[in-house]
Amino acid sequence: MDSTAPFPSNTLLRAARLIARLLVLILILKPVRPAPPYVRLGPPQTVQTEQPAVCVHTRLTDEVEEWKIQRTLSMVREMGAATIVEFFPWPYVERERGEFNWEHPDRILRHAENQGLTVIARLGLAPEWARPPVVEKVTTFTYLTEDHFDSFANFVRAFTARYRGRVDMVIIWNEPNLSIEWGDRPVDPEAYTRLLRLAYAAAHEGNPEITVLGGALAPTTEPEDSPSGMSDIRFLERMYEAGAAGAFDALAVHTYGFTHPPQDTPDPAVVNFRRVELLRAVMERYGDGDKPIVITESGWSDDPRWTRAVRPGQRIAYTLEAFEMVKSWPWAGQLCIWIFRQPLDLHNRRDAYYALVSSDFHAKPIYDAIQAYARGWPIPYAP
Amino acid sequence: MTTALLDVALQALHWLRRHPRFALLGVNLAGLLIAYDLVTRPGAWFGPQDGTWRRSQINGDLYVGIDPSYPPFAEWTPGGIVGLEADIAREIARRINTTAYIQIMGFDGLYSALYTGGVDLVISGLKVDPAYMEWVHYTQPYFDAGQILVSPAAAPIDDMRDLDGKTVAVELASAGDIAAQRWSRRLEALTIARFLLPDEAMHAVQTGAADAALVDVVSARLYVEQRPDLRLADETTVPDGYVIALRKKDFRLAEEIDHALADMIDDGTLNEIIDRWL
Repeated sequence: MDSTAPFPSNTLLRAARLIARLLVLILILKPVRPAPPYVRLGPPQTVQTEQPAVCVHTRLTDEVEEWKIQRTLSMVREMGAATIVEFFPWPYVERERGEFNWEHPDRILRHAENQGLTVIARLGLAPEWARPPVVEKVTTFTYLTEDHFDSFANFVRAFTARYRGRVDMVIIWNEPNLSIEWGDRPVDPEAYTRLLRLAYAAAHEGNPEITVLGGALAPTTEPEDSPSGMSDIRFLERMYEAGAAGAFDALAVHTYGFTHPPQDTPDPAVVNFRRVELLRAVMERYGDGDKPIVITESGWSDDPRWTRAVRPGQRIAYTLEAFEMVKSWPWAGQLCIWIFRQPLDLHNRRDAYYALVSSDFHAKPIYDAIQAYARGWPIPYAP
Repeated sequence: MTTALLDVALQALHWLRRHPRFALLGVNLAGLLIAYDLVTRPGAWFGPQDGTWRRSQINGDLYVGIDPSYPPFAEWTPGGIVGLEADIAREIARRINTTAYIQIMGFDGLYSALYTGGVDLVISGLKVDPAYMEWVHYTQPYFDAGQILVSPAAAPIDDMRDLDGKTVAVELASAGDIAAQRWSRRLEALTIARFLLPDEAMHAVQTGAADAALVDVVSARLYVEQRPDLRLADETTVPDGYVIALRKKDFRLAEEIDHALADMIDDGTLNEIIDRWL
């Protein structure tokens, strides 16, 4: 090597030029972002199942990535569930009064149909324009006053008309017997009945063949004067007393087992799976026994850190027994398990342990068990 | 490539030898950089300070977030919050010369309370979660709630490999069940007997229907406590460590709590607390 060579040498100059070019390239490429994954709809699928009552409540409301919507629904189909319940919030569609943006429901229904799934649409929440201005009163998304019941009915009409022939069942509002679902106000069965009546008429105007599901009451034993809610049984009685009989085609029921096996005897003072029979008795008592019931939320949790949960094996056994029980009830339609998957397990431990698959699509043993039951395979988790 | 780099380095050295002013400048710059790094390190004169540690030492308080819905780890009683986690928190606080003030909250609010400064640490059956690693410091586990082998005291089994040709009892659909299925593919002959509850699986070992049970540590400890004919393996087959979470920016507090927990493990205090509740 020539130690007297001048510095910087050609080698160093070349290196400096190369580094400069790389820096320029990095600056140019920095704002360029990778394209979102392209989602191909794929060929239409059909659900293979031997148990048409098997249904699951999905939660695609806040799922922003389309491939995850598709993956969720394909896993539902592979599990052998022919029906899903999915929530379509009113504020997502009618963010500004009279301006409907159907992008969100269109996308979910496109994928659900492609997987061969039947969708029960749960409709609810109130957009900002339908609530008092925040300077007057701070309200939640579930706060809907009587003067905007018509606006909600308009949305229901628009929804059922748009998806006529594609969505055959809609649920009007969610758990109106809980204060938290009624704008953090005292619950009001009569007001809910008025809302239901308006929504019922509007839904049938939009699609005369639609089945309107009323109720979707939370299973609770709260007394009538409780600030947090009202017993679902009493709430339903007061709905009938307010004239709700003609305002729905079927009753949506939420029934959870908590620590009780599904066979436990129904008791108004206990929240267990067969509480649905008490609601059925109310329907019959008010001469509405011809209407069916759809269980749109149910299930058991196997959260190891919750005193109202069961062990994983019990969860499987109870869930499969509940499906068999529903089959034996002539008045019951689907049994929809809460919840298939949530977008992120981190911030909602309760739902994470109700879910059948994890946020990252890892199937839990309960998923395998329901799949085997629905598709007529040997149950992989049997004692 | 190496030769080329060496060539460049040698050329640079020769150039510096002929230009000593630049060499001196380089040495000075390097010295400045080192000094800058030293004085701006966490805790140094101009570096970030651990205000939580300072506050806890001045006021003698340590705010602890706990979800008290999981006895015997934490339970809300008329007499206050009691349980294994509450005792660990109080002992840690004592060791860093503070008093633990337990803040009750739902599990889903724990990380938010830690993030917003509502509490200084969280001890509530948390597991290391990569999603939080950017701002959360996790201690070493204070309890392993994983799956452990339970076998007859007269015929102890400590390792799944010793179960070849034998029967293992598991709780249906549990992590032990899934682990046993995996081991059945590794071993030549492993029979898996499934039971709805962990106690039923351990009972099968007592009756001789199974050679060992693979069940969760909490169930195993509670069951074996009353049955001296059974014993637990020394280590879990499927670990599941519970850890304490702190804010990373509270580096001094994290360091002190790491030390306190390590000391509790070394001097047997942690085991004493665990034995008190399980």
